[in-house]
Amino acid sequence: MTTHEAAADPAHTATGPLVEAPADAVPGEVVLRLTDVVKTFPGVRALDGVQLEVRAGEVHCLLGQNGAGKSTLIKVLAGVHRPDSGQVEWRGQPAEFANPQAAMRAGIATIYQELDLVEDLSVAENAFLGHEPRRAGFVRRGQMARRTRQILGRLGHGEIPPGRMVRALPAAGKQIVSMARALSHEARLIIMDEPSAVLAHDEVGNLFRIIRELTAQGIAVIYISHRMEEIREIGDRVTVLKDGRTTAANLPARDTPTRDLVARMTGRTIEYVFPDRPADSGTGAELLRVDGLTRSGEFADVSLGVRAGEIVGIAGLVGSGRSELLETIYGARRAHAGTIRMGGHALRPGSVGAAVRAGMGMAPEERKSQALLLGEPIYRNVTLATFGRYARLGFTDAGRERAEADRIADSLELRPRDVRRPVRTLSGGNQQKVVVGRWLLGDTRLLLLDEPTRGVDVGARAELYQVIRELAARGVGVLLVSSEVPEVLGLADRVLVMREGRMVREAPAGELDENTVLDLVMAGSLMEGAPA
Amino acid sequence: MTQHSRDLSRRRLLFGGAALGAGALLVGCTSNEAAPTAAQTKAADTAAGGNSTPGKKVTIGFSAPAADHGWLAAITTNAKAQAAAYSDVDFKTVEAGADAAAQRAALSTLIAQKPDVIVMLPHDGKELNAAGLEAMKAGIPVVNLDRAFPDALAYRLQIMGDNYGMGVAAANYIVAQLKAKGVSTPVIGEIPGIDSLELTQQRSKGFADTLAAAGFKVANRRPAEFTADSGQQAATGLLQALPKIDAVWNHDDDQGIGVLAAVNQTGRKEFFMVGGAGSKKAMEDIQADNTVLKATVTYSPSMASSAISLARLIGQGKGMSDLVELQVPKEIVLASETITKENASSYLKLGF
Amino acid sequence: MSDSTPTATPDRPEALPPQSSPVDPAVAGAVGKGPAHGSGGTGQLSWWRGDGGEGTRRNLGLIGVLVVLILIGIATRPDLYGDSSWVWNNILTILKLASVVGVVTVGMTFVIIGGGIDLSVGAIVALAGVWCTTLATQSYGAGGMIFTALVVGMCVGLVNGLLVSYGKLVPFIATLAMMVAARGLAAQISGKQTQVSDNAAINGIASTSLLGIPLLVYILAAVVAAGWVLLNRTTFGRRTVAVGGNPEAARLAGINVRRHTVLLYALSGLCCGIAAIMLTAQATSAQAAMANLYELDAIAAAIIGGTLLSGGRGTIVGSLLGVIIFSTITNLFAINGLSTEAQNMVKGGIIVAAVLVQQFQFRSFTQFLGRNRLTTG
Repeated sequence: MTTHEAAADPAHTATGPLVEAPADAVPGEVVLRLTDVVKTFPGVRALDGVQLEVRAGEVHCLLGQNGAGKSTLIKVLAGVHRPDSGQVEWRGQPAEFANPQAAMRAGIATIYQELDLVEDLSVAENAFLGHEPRRAGFVRRGQMARRTRQILGRLGHGEIPPGRMVRALPAAGKQIVSMARALSHEARLIIMDEPSAVLAHDEVGNLFRIIRELTAQGIAVIYISHRMEEIREIGDRVTVLKDGRTTAANLPARDTPTRDLVARMTGRTIEYVFPDRPADSGTGAELLRVDGLTRSGEFADVSLGVRAGEIVGIAGLVGSGRSELLETIYGARRAHAGTIRMGGHALRPGSVGAAVRAGMGMAPEERKSQALLLGEPIYRNVTLATFGRYARLGFTDAGRERAEADRIADSLELRPRDVRRPVRTLSGGNQQKVVVGRWLLGDTRLLLLDEPTRGVDVGARAELYQVIRELAARGVGVLLVSSEVPEVLGLADRVLVMREGRMVREAPAGELDENTVLDLVMAGSLMEGAPA
Repeated sequence: MTQHSRDLSRRRLLFGGAALGAGALLVGCTSNEAAPTAAQTKAADTAAGGNSTPGKKVTIGFSAPAADHGWLAAITTNAKAQAAAYSDVDFKTVEAGADAAAQRAALSTLIAQKPDVIVMLPHDGKELNAAGLEAMKAGIPVVNLDRAFPDALAYRLQIMGDNYGMGVAAANYIVAQLKAKGVSTPVIGEIPGIDSLELTQQRSKGFADTLAAAGFKVANRRPAEFTADSGQQAATGLLQALPKIDAVWNHDDDQGIGVLAAVNQTGRKEFFMVGGAGSKKAMEDIQADNTVLKATVTYSPSMASSAISLARLIGQGKGMSDLVELQVPKEIVLASETITKENASSYLKLGF
Repeated sequence: MSDSTPTATPDRPEALPPQSSPVDPAVAGAVGKGPAHGSGGTGQLSWWRGDGGEGTRRNLGLIGVLVVLILIGIATRPDLYGDSSWVWNNILTILKLASVVGVVTVGMTFVIIGGGIDLSVGAIVALAGVWCTTLATQSYGAGGMIFTALVVGMCVGLVNGLLVSYGKLVPFIATLAMMVAARGLAAQISGKQTQVSDNAAINGIASTSLLGIPLLVYILAAVVAAGWVLLNRTTFGRRTVAVGGNPEAARLAGINVRRHTVLLYALSGLCCGIAAIMLTAQATSAQAAMANLYELDAIAAAIIGGTLLSGGRGTIVGSLLGVIIFSTITNLFAINGLSTEAQNMVKGGIIVAAVLVQQFQFRSFTQFLGRNRLTTG
C-alpha cells in the first residue's frame, strides 16, 4: 500500500513511467469533443444536447445528479449506445463506435462502477480479456502473465499475482485489475465511473496517485464522482450535466465554489447541510443494548447502546467490521458470543424476524442487491416488511398498501410521486428513501442505516439527513454506519469509532473533529500520519 | 407469551401426531399384496426319461434390465419361477442396472463367478454383443432373449419374439374382420409404442405391409410410450382426429389400459381394437367381450421360462426330447399368436 | 385485439393515458404538448407499464399465438372444423389434455417465481399415482386414494423444500435427486407393474361431465383460479415474488425466506398430488413410468408464459396459456396425422421464439428505462 506522501514523492515515479506515452500525444490537445449529442430511448430523452471537451493529460470531472445522463453518456463513448444525432469527434476526426470493441481499439477504455470482470478468470486473463496475446490460436499465457505483472507493477500493485482468481481479490484489487485492462489496451482516454465508491480512504489515495501518473503521460481521464472533495483534489476541469443537457462546461475544478456547482446540478442552491442537533438528544430510554458481541474474524467484544431519539454513528474503514456488526445486531448474521437486547429483552440470535418484531429496521449497504425488488412497484417495496399488517386472512389489501405508501412518499418527498412505478426507475437517492420509508410504516423503534448516502446525489442527501433527524425527533433510535467521516460527525449525536473489529473510541459528536476520527480509524493501518 | 407458546407447543404436538399417523397410514398403503401372478412355468414333468428328470446340478446366471414395464417385470418373474421348478437348477440373478454399460459391468462379475449357463435379456443386442462373446470365450454358453446379437459366436441359443410377425398378425385379424363386415375403405388407426425403438418400427412395418396387401392403409398413427397415461393421451388424440374409425391396433397391452380408458371416456364404440403383447388384463377383457378390445397378438414373456428350461438342458448337455437332435437348437423364434374370445381361456395362463 | 385504446391518434399510441377519450381535446392537447421523454412526476402511467400491464400484454401475445394455431387447424382440416359439435368437443379435448400438466404447471410457476426449479414433478406425479393405486390404498376407497395422493405429493415436495432451504442444496440438484429417487420408490412400490385402478369414483373423474364440461377442466380451472388468487392477492404470493426477486432483500425485510421456500416446494408437491389423481383417473391406472418428462412440459409452459427463470416474475394466466398452446399443438398434429417428431421440433421452436420475443420486447426495454430514465425533477 502506498500513501499520499508516497504519491507526492517524486522518487516514487523513478521506477519507470506508468505507461508508454502514446507517441503522438500532445498535452493539452483536445482529444474528444462532443457537440449537441442526443440519445433517446423509447419514452426517454436520455441525452438532450450534450457538449463535452476533453484534453489530453487532464482529469475531466463529470458532475450530475443520478439520472442526469452520465451513464448514457459513458455508454455512448464506450460504444455501447450510438447517439441519435450530434457530433462525436475523436482526435480531430468524426467518430462513431459501432461496438465496445471499436471504442477500445480507438483507445477509449471504461472502468464501470459495477466492475465488469469475470470473477472466475485470473487477473491476467481479465486484463487481456478479448485481446489475449496469441500465436496460432493458442493464448501465450507466459507472455500474458509477464505483461500483466508489468502493468500491475506500474500501477503500484506488483503484489497482485497475475494467476490469482479475480473472485479472491478485494474490491480495491478488482478495480486495479480493471485499470490494468484499460492500460493493456494502450488507452488514450480512460473513463472512470465513481471509482472511489468501492474503495476505502487510503485506497483512494493510491487511486489518485495512479491517475496523476496516467495524466502525466498525456492520457485523458473522465472522472465521475459524487464526492466534491475528490473533484477538488484530482480534477482539472468540470462539466455539469442536468436532465441530459450540459449546463456548465469546463469550469475550473479547484476554484469553482461548491454552491455554483450544486446550483448547476440541481437548479437549486443547497449547501451540504446537516440538520440541527436538538439539545435533549441522548436523554431517552435505552432501546438497544449490545454486550460483548463477537464474530470471529469480523469483530470482537463490541458493546454499545442506543437510546430512543438518539442518532449513534459508527465511523470506520471498509473491513473494520462495521457492516458485519450492523447485520449481526439485525440478526442477519449469528453472533459467536455476546448478547443483543431490545428494550431489555434478549433477542433470539440469528433471526431477522425476531429483530423486526422487536422493532428494528435496516437499510443495508447494497441498496439494489440487498433491499429492493427493482422490477416491483414502489409501493410494494415500501410495504415489503409490513404488507402482512394490511392483510386480512392472508389476503393483501393493495388499496390500503398504496395509500400507506402514498403517505410515506409524501412525507419523504419521493420523486416521481407515482407509487405504482417500478422502483428501478428511481434515482439512487429516491431508492434510498423507499428503503428508509419501508421502516417508517411499521412500529420501528430502532433504525440501522448502513451507508445511507452511498450513490446519493447532493440534493437528495440533504433531504435524507433531514428525514433521519426527524425520525430521531419522533423517538426512533438510529444506528448509522458511514465511510464518510463528515457525515458521521455532522449527523450523529454520539460517535463510535471502529477499527479492525474493535470499538476504539466513543464520544459525543461535538467533542470530535474530522482529523481526530481519521487518526483513530487509520491508526495501525499502513498509513503514516493522517491524510490532509 | 407463555400461554401463546404453550398453545404453540400443543399445536406442534398435535400436528406432529397427525403427521406420524398419516405417515404410518401411508407406509401401510404401499402394500400390493394380492395373489402373486401365476407365473408362466412348465410344471416339472415327472415321467421318467423326460427332459425334466433331475440330472446334473446346473448353475444359471441371469441378467435383465431393470423393469419399467409389465412385460420386462414378467420376464424376470417367469425366469425365477421356472428355475424354482427344477430341483437341479441353481439360479443367480445380477441387477443389470439402468443402461447397457451397467449391464456390461454386471455381466463381467457374473462371468467371473463361472456359472454353467448365462441367460440374458440385453439392454441392446448390439451394445452387449461383446459381453456375449466374452462369456462364450470363457466357455459359458449364452442364451440370449429377445434382442438379437449381431454376431452368431456371441450366443449358444437365441430366443426371440417376432415383432414384424406381430404387425402381420394384427393386420391379418383386422383385414379378416373388415372383409367379413364388407367394409371396403376402412379407417384404421394405430397406436404404437416408443417410436424410436427398432421393435416398434418392425411392428409397424409388418402391420403396414400386410394392410397394403389387402389394399388398406393406416389413416392416423399416434405413438405412445408403453405407459397407460401416454396411451390415454395418444388415443384421445387419435379419436379426436378420426371422427369415425373401423379398427385400431394398439401395440402394447400395458399402454392399452390407457387406450381403453380414453375410448370409454369418449364413449366411442363404432370400432374394434386389437392389442399387442398379451397381458392378462387384455385377455380377460377379450374374454369378457365388453370393450372394443376384441383380440391381441402375443409377444409373450413366457420366452423367459422357456429360456431357463433350455439353459438347463444346455448345461446338462441334453437335447429337447421331442426333437431328434441331441442338442438344443441354436435359434428359436416364437410365433406371434392371435388371441380372441374363442381361444383366450387357453392363453390366459401365459398372460402377464 | 390487444387493447381498448382508441385509434384516433395512432401516431403516438404510447403517450395515451389509459381510458382516455379520443374526443377530449383537453387530454389530447395535454398529451400532445407533454414531453415525449416525460421526465416523470406526471403521475400518469402509460398503459403498458401499469400494475401487471406488461403481463397482460404478453398474455395477449400468447392468445394471438393460440388464434394462429387454431386458424392453421381450420385451414388444414376444414372438414372437421365445419362440424360445430366436433369443434366444441375438440376445445374440450384440448383443455382435458392440458388439465394434468396445467395443474403441475401452476405449482411449478410458484416455485420458479420463488427463485427455484422443481425437476421432480413428473416423478412425484408417478409416485403419488402409484402410491394411491396400491391394493392396500384402494381398499380405503376413493377418499383414501385422494388423501394418499395429496399427502404423498405434499410430503415429497416438503422434502424437496427442506433439502433446498435447510440442506442448502441447489434446487436443480435437490430436485434432480428427488426425480430419480421418487421414480425408484414408485417402481419399488409398484413392483414395476402397471397398477389398475378399480375404483369407479376415481375413474369417473375423467369421464364425468357437468353441464357439458368435463370434471377435469373444472379441476384445472379451480387450481388455476386458486393459484391466481394465491399469487396476486395474498401475503403468500407477495412473499413468493419477494423471495424470488431478491432473497436477500426479503430476508432483511424480515421475511422467513427458508420457511417460505419449503412451503413453495410443498405447494408444488401438492399440485403434483392433484395431478396424480387426475392422471390416474384418465389412464385408469398408474405406474412408475407415468407422467414422463412432465417437468420439462411444465417448465417450458411457465417460460413461454413469461415466468422469469431467475425468479421474481411470472403469471399464472401466462403459464396456463403456455400449457394450452402446447396441447393445441399436440392436437393440431394429431388431427393432421403428422408425426410426433415434427411436433416436438415445433414445440422447441415455440419455446425459443417466445423467449426471444420477450427478451427483445419487454425485458431489455424495461431495463433501458430503468437505466436511462430521467427521474429527478
